Amino acid sequence: MPTQMPPMPNKDDAKLTWAYLEAGVDKIMNELQDGMDMKTYMGLYTAIHNFCTAQKAVSTGGGFNSHNRGGAHLLGEDLYKHLIAYLGNHLQTVHQASKLHSDEALLRFYIKEWKRYTTAATYNNHLFRYLNRHWVKREMDEGKKNIYDIYTLHLVRWKEDMFTSTHLSVMDAVLKMVEKQRNGETIEQAQIKAVVESFVSLGLDESDSTKPTLDVYKEFFEAPFLKATGEYYSRESKQFLAENSVVEYMKKAETRLEEEKERVDLFLLAEILAPLNRTCEQSLIQDHSLILREEFQNLLDRDRQEDLGRMYKLLSRIPDGLDPLRARFEVHVRKCGLAAVEKVAADGENIEPKVYVEALLGVHTQYQDLVNAAFGGESEFVRSLDNACRDFVNRNKICKTGSSRSPELLAKYTDTLLKKSNAKMSEEDDMEKCQTEIMTVFKYIEDKDVFQKFYSRMLAKRLVHTSSASDDAETSMISKLKEACGFEYTNKLQRMFQDIQTSKDLNSAYKDWCADTYAAEENKNAVDATYSILGTGFWPLTPPSTPFIPPQAIVKTYERFAVFYNHKHSGRKLSWLWQLCKGEIRANYTKSAQRIPYTFQVSTYQMALLLPFNDADTLTYEQLEETTKLQKDTLDPCMNLFVKAKVLTCSPEGGKPEAGTSYTLNTNFKNKKVKVNLAITIKSEQKQEVEETHKTIEEDRKLLIQSAIVRIMKSRKKMKHTLLVTETIQQIKSRFSPKVSDIKKCIDILLEKEYLERLEGDELGYLA
Amino acid sequence: MASASAPAVPQITLTSSDGIDISVDRSVAQRSVLIKNLLEDLPTESTNEPIPIPNVNEAVLKKVMEWCEHHKNDPTTTNDDDSDSRKKSTDIEEWDQRYMSVDQEMLFEIILAANYLDIKALLDVGCKTVANMIKGKSPEEIRKTFNIQNDFTPEEEDQIRRENEWAEDR
Repeated sequence: MPTQMPPMPNKDDAKLTWAYLEAGVDKIMNELQDGMDMKTYMGLYTAIHNFCTAQKAVSTGGGFNSHNRGGAHLLGEDLYKHLIAYLGNHLQTVHQASKLHSDEALLRFYIKEWKRYTTAATYNNHLFRYLNRHWVKREMDEGKKNIYDIYTLHLVRWKEDMFTSTHLSVMDAVLKMVEKQRNGETIEQAQIKAVVESFVSLGLDESDSTKPTLDVYKEFFEAPFLKATGEYYSRESKQFLAENSVVEYMKKAETRLEEEKERVDLFLLAEILAPLNRTCEQSLIQDHSLILREEFQNLLDRDRQEDLGRMYKLLSRIPDGLDPLRARFEVHVRKCGLAAVEKVAADGENIEPKVYVEALLGVHTQYQDLVNAAFGGESEFVRSLDNACRDFVNRNKICKTGSSRSPELLAKYTDTLLKKSNAKMSEEDDMEKCQTEIMTVFKYIEDKDVFQKFYSRMLAKRLVHTSSASDDAETSMISKLKEACGFEYTNKLQRMFQDIQTSKDLNSAYKDWCADTYAAEENKNAVDATYSILGTGFWPLTPPSTPFIPPQAIVKTYERFAVFYNHKHSGRKLSWLWQLCKGEIRANYTKSAQRIPYTFQVSTYQMALLLPFNDADTLTYEQLEETTKLQKDTLDPCMNLFVKAKVLTCSPEGGKPEAGTSYTLNTNFKNKKVKVNLAITIKSEQKQEVEETHKTIEEDRKLLIQSAIVRIMKSRKKMKHTLLVTETIQQIKSRFSPKVSDIKKCIDILLEKEYLERLEGDELGYLA
Repeated sequence: MASASAPAVPQITLTSSDGIDISVDRSVAQRSVLIKNLLEDLPTESTNEPIPIPNVNEAVLKKVMEWCEHHKNDPTTTNDDDSDSRKKSTDIEEWDQRYMSVDQEMLFEIILAANYLDIKALLDVGCKTVANMIKGKSPEEIRKTFNIQNDFTPEEEDQIRRENEWAEDR
């Protein structure tokens, strides 16, 4: 049965009015669920209104109108104080009742009472609206402390009379429930959500009650919640690690972190996510980071990408978690790189360039994949990978004689790739892919100048002997190098390429010129020749190492070309690089049954040695030497080759190429092929070339250092010695790593040459 | 005309202090914050009953609802603090001026009802109307207008005049 309301009081009677209101407020507090009728609602509102508007209140005795305002004032205060007293009593009861409950029952009780109380507060706030509008407003406008609108007053009272004495047990219950959930039990999470909301509602800004703050929630919910969370996971992780592997633990930790994140969405305030993450990260990761890191090497050794990725993600969550991993990763990759090279280094000096480059690439590819897959391509790991690669590419077993071995082998590998003979391989593999791989290794090469030297020499050969697989591949390779090292690096390579193109045009112009200048008969009998005109400055070529008298037929041919060329470009000097020339001669003398005569592909030197046999079947070593003027170290290998290929026979049999040996044309020469290639370069020549190349590199480096020094000094005029050295290293680094001692030597040379002068106090000056 | 075709606007009934039921659109009655809160607070089924308005008689209630009807589409100012301009200006829009052209007794009844029913805008208009009645009048004229008996002694009056001399318009 709902409580019967007393009759409407007289508006002037404070006592009766309060008695009436108290009955109403009590009804709202305790019996709202039974419903509220309109009459009571209007009655309560009207009673408050009438009481507050009553002109002559009981409180004043004075007859003068000066008290009218004060009367209303006091009347409002009366009601307000009565309400406070009532709420105090009510909450006292609630608090007493709460003591009968604990844990989940307490939570249920607290939330039920809270909901009932706040609903009632909303009602009261409306019913006391007249008081809010006038008395409360005026008090607040006058800056009175501790006066709140009726709803806020309810919250303030709850905080004082209920919350303060119960929050510990409430939180205790909450934390127990959360622990249950963490242990896998199902809980009524809505209850925790309600507690959170209630704590948040109690956060009132003392100076402005319209502004809610999270102070209460933070102090009484968040702090104990985080503390319990940290303790829970410290306990759990220690135990779990004692019984399980690190890999299993990482899975567990990952799941736990994910769960906590979900928990926030389920019943916590989103605001807690950051501190909650920090707490969990501390207990789950930071506290065990040493053990985790210990496992890293293990996982690397077994190439466990997924677990490595998990470890990366976990450790990336804590400050400085990844740095030790990066350091270990770098060491590991370097070790793998060195081991891979070690494995293929059995052949020592004679290692196949392809094998070597593939060994380097293999390691790089493996760990680049790992960085991308497990470490999300993170730039710091990429840097560690680069550092390791740079190290093992330039310093490994193959390079122990010097870091120039890597660029040399890489250039050689590039050469085999770009050479015609390698047709089979470029079909199988994508040329573009191989070039990209070459550039990957190239990126790590420190002595880029060495690569440049070898590359340009080999390019020169490919171009001169027209042995390039394709112009497109050559162009694409050059443009890749240009992209990596700039215009200057590839300038000469490009000029070489151009020269060959220009030569092609020149040859066809020469043909036209011949047709115009000479009779058809004369042209027909002339030697059919092609010329490559190579600019001296751009090509890494040296003049012939031996004196040489070319055969008459050749002399006539090139003299004719010289006339044409001088006509076209007067004042240019043509020097013939005989060692690079080659030609074909037809052997019409053989007795074999073959209808088509053999054709010999020979160098010009060989040609000069064979042509005299047109006039005599047998010639002595001295005779040949006299005719060609070739030096012994060029002549002898050629003669040996002829004998070996059975083009010539020598007497005495097995005779060495020396005075007294004579050679006879072998008319019984036989070969499976019609075209016989006799112009094979000799091993010792190759080796000599490599050595030469290295020598020029040393010289070029000195020049490069000197020009860098001069460039720097020209712009600075004056500079400290040490600063100059650092600056020079800075400038040259992209080509090779210069030694400080070399730079110092170069400075001395420049001082001697009076480009520089010594000034006071370790300073150097530039002399124009 | 045909009541069947009229849109079904929810109606509520108000009972005046003298026991007369007045039927109004729910939205119109909700110009009164009191009625609005009541309708929100109480369960819907109980709001089918007439709402007792014990402090306002039929004539005044009807008059107030007339104002609410006219202003039902005004934006509701939920904010208790009005903008300064509205507070200071004594300008009253034309319709409200005509609405307020009633005898003094009715005017005060309207103001009291607006205060009771918590209809801020109507309360403002009422007070402005009274303010306009005072503006530019001498104390004697004001007394006459509102039928106020002068209960000051000449000495008291003199003192007050001296104290407020600074405010006089000369």
